Amino acid sequence: MQVKDISNLNQLDLINNNGNLNTEINGIFACDLLSHVMGHAQENNILITVLNNINVLGVTSLLDLSCVIFTHDTDLNEAIINKADELEIPLFVTKLSTAEITIKLYELGIKL
Amino acid sequence: MENYSQDYKIERNDIANAGTVASLTKRALKKRGLSREFVKQVTIGLYEAEINVVIHSYGGTVKVVIEDDFVEITFQDVGPGIPSIEKALTKGYSTASSYAIENGFGAGMGLPNIQSVSDEMDLQSSDEGTYLHIKFFITKDCYAS
Repeated sequence: MQVKDISNLNQLDLINNNGNLNTEINGIFACDLLSHVMGHAQENNILITVLNNINVLGVTSLLDLSCVIFTHDTDLNEAIINKADELEIPLFVTKLSTAEITIKLYELGIKL
Repeated sequence: MENYSQDYKIERNDIANAGTVASLTKRALKKRGLSREFVKQVTIGLYEAEINVVIHSYGGTVKVVIEDDFVEITFQDVGPGIPSIEKALTKGYSTASSYAIENGFGAGMGLPNIQSVSDEMDLQSSDEGTYLHIKFFITKDCYAS
């Protein structure tokens, strides 16, 4: 499965233009502490978080995660969106909670 | 391959640029044909240590050396130092400020993560500053197949 395959999910909005939608997805990692993400997330995982700062993108890029989903309608500033475009990381925002979107992705066939 | 040696400055509280050294080093390691898993271990160690200097110290430097059989990273920062290294190496123990925590750090996982990914680690600290030296050995298994 690739990032483009989740982009049509209801209530999941892609918010930047230059993310690489052909990146493979091989799992889900949901966490708001970056050191835990750094220590445990696997390459090509989707990162699900409410943490809306630029370091999320640093970690995503260093670990080669596939994309970031911000839950609970997290507000994102322009600096994050621009940086994501520069790093070609797709960013999504959803109104759903972390648990709800995780279940939806699982139902779509993405294993944890 | 040609030896690689780079020196960088790390500014206090410069969270937006934290990770720059890790990112540049990651690129250099990949270029040398090292495996994703090896590159990830070095990147995690470097990133966590960069964050530590940014959120805990008054600023510092880092030197990254890549030779044929090892990667060696040396951090030196200026104060306030680590009051208890033993506690700092305990998972979950943290003295981070609310500023660090709001930015997703300060979970008390930094040094334990660094220790677990590196092959050698030397950590020394006084109230004048902290010295951290980490080493990763490059064996033939560390290259991408």
